[in-house]
Amino acid sequence: MNALEVKNLKKTFGSVKAVDDISFQVPEGSVFGLIGRNGAGKTTTIRMLMNIYIPDSGEVILRGAPVTEEFKQKVGYLPEERGLYKKMNVWDTLMFFAEVKGRSGKEIESRANEYLKRFQLIDRKTSKIQDLSKGNQQKIQFIATILHDPDFLILDEPFSGLDPINTDLLRQIIIDLKNQGKVIIFSTHLMDFAERMCDQIALIDKGKIILSGALSSIKAEYGNRNVNLAYNGDISFLKNHPIVEKVQDFGNTTEITVREEFQTQALLKLLIENNVMVRRFNANDISLQEIFIKLVGDNNNAVQREEVRNV
Amino acid sequence: MFNFRTKAVIKRELKEKILSKTFILMTLLLPLFMIGLLAFNTFLFFYTGEDSAKLIIISESPELTSGLQKDFSKLPIVMNGKYQITFETEPKSKIQGEIENRKKDLLDNKITGVVFIPQTALKDKKIEYYSKSPSNNSLFEKIKGTINQALVDNYFLGRQLSNEDIEYARNSVNFNGFRISSDNKIEETTAGAMIISKLFAFLLYFSLMFIGMMMMRSVVEEKNTKIVEILLSSVNSKEMMIGKIVGTALTGLLQMAIWILPIVLLITSSLFVIPQEYMPTVTLGQMIYFLINYFVGLITFLGLFATVGSIFDNDQDAQSGIWPIMMLIMIPFFISFAVGENPDSMLAKITSLLPFSSIIVMPARMSLVEIPIWQFVVSVIVNVATMLAIFPFAGKIYRIGILLTGKKPQWSEVIKWLRF
Repeated sequence: MNALEVKNLKKTFGSVKAVDDISFQVPEGSVFGLIGRNGAGKTTTIRMLMNIYIPDSGEVILRGAPVTEEFKQKVGYLPEERGLYKKMNVWDTLMFFAEVKGRSGKEIESRANEYLKRFQLIDRKTSKIQDLSKGNQQKIQFIATILHDPDFLILDEPFSGLDPINTDLLRQIIIDLKNQGKVIIFSTHLMDFAERMCDQIALIDKGKIILSGALSSIKAEYGNRNVNLAYNGDISFLKNHPIVEKVQDFGNTTEITVREEFQTQALLKLLIENNVMVRRFNANDISLQEIFIKLVGDNNNAVQREEVRNV
Repeated sequence: MFNFRTKAVIKRELKEKILSKTFILMTLLLPLFMIGLLAFNTFLFFYTGEDSAKLIIISESPELTSGLQKDFSKLPIVMNGKYQITFETEPKSKIQGEIENRKKDLLDNKITGVVFIPQTALKDKKIEYYSKSPSNNSLFEKIKGTINQALVDNYFLGRQLSNEDIEYARNSVNFNGFRISSDNKIEETTAGAMIISKLFAFLLYFSLMFIGMMMMRSVVEEKNTKIVEILLSSVNSKEMMIGKIVGTALTGLLQMAIWILPIVLLITSSLFVIPQEYMPTVTLGQMIYFLINYFVGLITFLGLFATVGSIFDNDQDAQSGIWPIMMLIMIPFFISFAVGENPDSMLAKITSLLPFSSIIVMPARMSLVEIPIWQFVVSVIVNVATMLAIFPFAGKIYRIGILLTGKKPQWSEVIKWLRF
């Protein structure tokens, strides 16, 4: 069952096709990644999901019915560029953002207290936003996004600017929300992050969806002939070896593509024979990053698309 | 009337604006400032008026000199010693010499001036004044009446005229203005009417500017800090705009009500006592009209200020983009002063019924002349119609503008947004 279905969305600004016939499905209870480069059309798509922009054509179906203004009550949106009223205090800020979603009262207040405790901000209730550190402001922003208990969460680069401890805390909360059956949509251009968090993805480039589906099946499809390797030693001899098509170094891991699917065994043997210490050898695995580069990088030199000004 | 989203925005605006230090200070300080200005004016008036002077008054005949002496001795400023006057009788031929002798004293300000009344003055009333600063109007004002009296007395001396006739001739013309209204009461126009007219114009001008700029800055801030993006995931641009405008307009209304409260108390109660001639000539009905007119005008202008704010993403650009709107407030403000001179001129009548200008000109006019009810009705209808006509356009520009960042848009682009 799909929680959200996007059908043939189109949006043009002047002569620029920001979103050009986009369709994808977000299954119930999934973490969905909308990935693409800066200016690919992610934000425009998200704005259409939430009725901020009215699409030129196409529709967004929410649990079987087209979205209306009421969808806004069920959604929590954390945009990449954050903003809070600097002179408001923490508590008023949280209450205001709940109130515009139609939520107020005891229940919301206790939820707010709970989250403030969890983020260790309970003693900052009466502080003005401008007196908080950037990281703390971000935490308040996140609480404001989820305080009204939304069914849908749309998070645009939620971890940027957070320290490792808070990143972990945030991830824990996101996983909790997923387990509660919330639909979570990530928009990001960070592939390794999308890879770790998402189970469904849609890859958007130049306003078009160029790949979508379950991450596992996409990886399986693109992953044969591919080996994900972690090692100690020297593998430069592979560069011109007849069974190897391509070696790509990503720092921590190296992706090796062999010419034929059955050659992965031969590759492992080759590595051992050459005294390379193999720490990890993942056959038929490919990183999202590589898929992304493969699909998007190919036509990189095509005519540069005029970027939509307001995204 | 409003849905919960709009209400939440209104509530936030009210809380933020009313509790802001600027607002509280402005609301309390402006009346104090106005009272202070009035007091300062009065002080200046008395201060320059009570300046002391040492004068020498020379006439050509002893009769005139004694007449002058007699009349000046009754003048309050002479009696209280502020003006010290010595009287001399010299023929015209010796005047140049006299001046020459006293040149040093005149230059050192030991003597303020020498007044010479030649014999010919009995025919043409032309007198001469020698001083370091010869165009001293306030001094002339104080002494010319008395000199005139002495001349008149001297002129009629020995003729068969009654004291009444002389008394009549001595007095100069004194204007008393009377205001005519349809309820057949002929009232004297008072300084109060003029003050209230200027006060209304000033309050409207100041408040529309102040609240308008506050609105614009708040829209620019929301754009600048990217709060709009989050807000728009909860409310639509229309709800947001209405919420902000209503919240801000209520703040303005509260402020204006506080500002005019002293006037309302003055005309409805006997709490304050002020001289009759400073009594404002407005009725309670006019005060209510004033507030309604202000509220409608404020909403109209807030719509315009918010729209301009939405076009720009920083204060500097917005400031430079706002001038056409500011003109709509400033020009009527200046017209209202011209209206003070002649509240029944064609200019006054027309501008008190035109969109935008009527908001300031009509209240400035209504305390000076009686305005037929139909004109009030027309002005309200015109203002409400203007307000209703503006919002569809303002709303469209606002909707597009608030999400747009980056390069400053051209006006031609903004006009294109109307078609989206």
